[in-house]
Amino acid sequence: MANLAQQIVSGLASGGIYALLALAIVIIHRSTGVINFAQGELATLSAFICFALMNHGWAFWPAFFVTLALSFGGGMVLHTVVIRPIQGGPLLGIVILTIGLLIAINGLTTWIWGGTSQQFHGPFSTAPIRVAGVAFSKQDIGVIVVAVVAMLVLGLLFARTKLGLGLRASAVNPSEARLVGVPVPAMLAVGWGLACALGAVAGVMAAPSLFLDPNMMQTVLLYSFAAAVLGGMDSPAGAVVGGLVLGVSLNLLGTYVDWIGGELRLATALALILAVLLARPSGLFGRSIVRRA
Amino acid sequence: MRGSIPVALCALVLAAAAGASTEATPGVTSSTVTIGSSGPLTGEAAAAAGVLKGADAYFKYVNGRGGVNGRQIKFTYLDDDYDPSRTVENVRELVQQDNVFALFSVVGTNENLAIRDFTNAAGIPQVFSAAGATTFGRDYAKYPWTIGYLPPYAEEGALYARQILATGAKTAKVAVLYQSDDYGKDLLAGFRKGLGAKAKQLIVQTVGYDPTTTDVQSEVAQLKASGANTFMVFAFGKFAIQAFVYANKLGWKPQVYVNDVASASSIMTLLPQTTAEGAISILWGKDPATPKFKGDPGVTLAAKIIKRYVPGGNPSDGFLVAGMAEAYSFVDALRAAGKNLTRKGLMNAVTHMNEASNPFLVPGVTVRTTPTSRFPISAVQLQRWHSRHWVPFGAVVSTKF
Amino acid sequence: MRLKLLYVSLGALALIVLPFALSDFRTGQLATVGAYFIAILGLDVLTGHSGQISLGHGAFMAIGAYTTAILVGHHGVRDLATIPIAAAVAGGIGLLAGVPALRLSGLYLALATFGIAVVFPTILKKFDTFTGGSTGISFFGSPHQTGHGTGVTILGAHLSNLQWLYALTWVIGVALFLLVWFLLASRFGRALRAVRDSELAAAAAGVNRSAYKVTAFGLSAALAGTAGSLFAINIAYVSPDSISIQLSLYLLVGAVVGFFGSIWGAILGALLIEFLADVVGLIPHVDTKQAGPTSFAFGAILVALMLLLPLATRLGAAVGRRGYPRPR
Repeated sequence: MANLAQQIVSGLASGGIYALLALAIVIIHRSTGVINFAQGELATLSAFICFALMNHGWAFWPAFFVTLALSFGGGMVLHTVVIRPIQGGPLLGIVILTIGLLIAINGLTTWIWGGTSQQFHGPFSTAPIRVAGVAFSKQDIGVIVVAVVAMLVLGLLFARTKLGLGLRASAVNPSEARLVGVPVPAMLAVGWGLACALGAVAGVMAAPSLFLDPNMMQTVLLYSFAAAVLGGMDSPAGAVVGGLVLGVSLNLLGTYVDWIGGELRLATALALILAVLLARPSGLFGRSIVRRA
Repeated sequence: MRGSIPVALCALVLAAAAGASTEATPGVTSSTVTIGSSGPLTGEAAAAAGVLKGADAYFKYVNGRGGVNGRQIKFTYLDDDYDPSRTVENVRELVQQDNVFALFSVVGTNENLAIRDFTNAAGIPQVFSAAGATTFGRDYAKYPWTIGYLPPYAEEGALYARQILATGAKTAKVAVLYQSDDYGKDLLAGFRKGLGAKAKQLIVQTVGYDPTTTDVQSEVAQLKASGANTFMVFAFGKFAIQAFVYANKLGWKPQVYVNDVASASSIMTLLPQTTAEGAISILWGKDPATPKFKGDPGVTLAAKIIKRYVPGGNPSDGFLVAGMAEAYSFVDALRAAGKNLTRKGLMNAVTHMNEASNPFLVPGVTVRTTPTSRFPISAVQLQRWHSRHWVPFGAVVSTKF
Repeated sequence: MRLKLLYVSLGALALIVLPFALSDFRTGQLATVGAYFIAILGLDVLTGHSGQISLGHGAFMAIGAYTTAILVGHHGVRDLATIPIAAAVAGGIGLLAGVPALRLSGLYLALATFGIAVVFPTILKKFDTFTGGSTGISFFGSPHQTGHGTGVTILGAHLSNLQWLYALTWVIGVALFLLVWFLLASRFGRALRAVRDSELAAAAAGVNRSAYKVTAFGLSAALAGTAGSLFAINIAYVSPDSISIQLSLYLLVGAVVGFFGSIWGAILGALLIEFLADVVGLIPHVDTKQAGPTSFAFGAILVALMLLLPLATRLGAAVGRRGYPRPR
């Protein structure tokens, strides 16, 4: 029984990381309609930047906030320079471009920092706290809390603020939004900036337990896609709930289904993606869009 | 074996052709000898490439002192990202483009398996493979041009089994975390074999994980839940570290056995010491951070070489030191092969080694080979982690069973 | 049209002459280029002509490669005989995969195929009794390997192993290219492009969209399977890591470089995948011992291409430029 509880708690902690990256993916999809395949690599890059600053003697929090700012700015610049020129074209083209970014950024981080794993010291203590036979750390709580807070903040942003309204309008109907005075290009850039900032949070939260190396987020990316798809690609709440549910389910399936064990977790996540996309593409929280052709 | 006759014939034909078409041995001039390798400079196993960097540093050191038999050693190594198909391509390039004399310390079991048929058909020495599969020392009749170096992983596992049987067979309850590839599976298979009839009784749970996993907390929790008091960590790199971290986190204090490749002091000092304390591993190369070897001339030399030739290198990186040990043996063999250097001469030297003076190997561990006994390192010592250091204990034991 | 024939003849001539002009090693590399070429042809059919994206074409290559390896290594089948089998197996699975793919819009299809490519090696490792697990399957020197890895004598002329692989790969490559060319120029191709450009119009014209899209999937998978089989024969070894997500993505780069359809483009794309590392290595101060700079170059090239030439016009122009008969 203790093991069940333990698996659930650990699952929530892993799920928190998937949730954070899934949030970034959802933001970009919601605000620009694009699936950004490079989101994981951008998150890794942000984590490396934070790491580099800390290696130069900076304390964690200053390094983190600078990284956050750089990631936000970087995301905006990335959108303006690389996505905006082809924003009007076919979605497929933009997706392929994000693949190009994925390859390029992965190559860049490998080039600069090499292939070996590095230890990353996060802000929260990893000292274990044990309650009723279940062990967790402040790091675990931190991840879950950050994910939930991010979800609430973003939810409020989209629903209640003028900025959020502008973001949503620019995504759904750019030409009409422009007519009513929404600075659409700026809105789209902000969307990317937000996503990259979230990615930075995901990377920095993941690095202490996953160890920092250029491929750190590659597997997480797939789990985050699964979480985003499960929650409905446009819902921040869905992404977070999806991530947490995924983390717990994978742990439980891995522990209690021998055949899956530690070897087929990734495959399970993929099976989930396929099942949801084929059976209920709008996921748990999304709205179904019916297309008549 | 129907396959071996055509292969042997082809080897003969190739050897004749090689002999007829070129005057000198490939890769050998009067002033240089060129050797090549392939390893995971990038990818999940990147830490293991330290072996190549260490060897490279040692060769540079030897070159600085005049080389071997008047020849400078040119060592070229390429990245294969731990993908054996790329190793095959790299080896083609090294052999046909760079004209290497021999392949040295190619990293990885699968990588060496992938090129073994080719090297043996073409008569190219595949020397001191950095791979722990038993086949590289055992199957020399079919593959005379291939020889390993490390004590095989299967034998390492068997050694841990013997230790458990000797110290706690009645009360031990063993849980095993293993990487689900040849590396981990070899260790596990050897461990099981070493326990023999008692295996079923003593092993309460084994959990494998795929190297693409993000972390192994769930697996460790599962192992703890089995009630085991002994924990075999047959994991690599960051997963080994996570195993310790999560065992600590879960409040689990088993007797830990950690495999050699994951046991460098530089890693062990980073682990939660409550869990690491008392962990057991094996030792064959000198770890510069072990107090027993403080001031040891071999360790001092290693530190000097690393400082000079490996920019940013960590002197207590076990992979670097292992690479230097291999390189030392290789230079020994080159020297014994003489001024008139041929591939056959190298293989002859490599299969008649009796090297007691390798400064990078633990005293008592000698490099000894005969044409019918091809495990260069076949003895190791056990060591226990105590107060942030490795302390060797017991006698140097043979890994041949 | 005559210019086209001239180009093709020159190309064929180059193909025949090259192995004698180049070193054995380079010839071997060009054999691998041939395998990539065939795989990129497959992607051209799928993405360029039927508008369905696949980020996981490596998986079909892997299916072809493993079919060959299992048959040669475990069941003693002659390696040449396994090539059509590999194509059929991969093609069959492609047809099956094409059906659910119909339900997924471009973005989600990209996601699904990306996931398949990432997960495929794990699945290969899991079914290890079948696939040899992470050790893989080796058949170098096997009696069922043509030439036993040392070379082949045809019509009295002796070819080295790599020369033989080159000949094998390019004979099949040219044959498949011609097949694809004619197929795409025919009614089949026109219908395919109609489906790609406007599903509504195609439906109105009576084209069974689903059938064409699924067929395209199957055809492109068969091509990738052939490429995989040739790749396996080339290396004489397969392992789960041989055909990684990286290769799937590089194939995409190759296809984009090839403008999704023209033959020269596909060859250029295949050459890029094999030789970019060498080109990048020529840049001073860049150490290509490690894979980082080369990956960066691949990604940068893809991004630059996507920025410089918007996909829509490129697809449209490519169709016209290639001279497929357009309805008058």
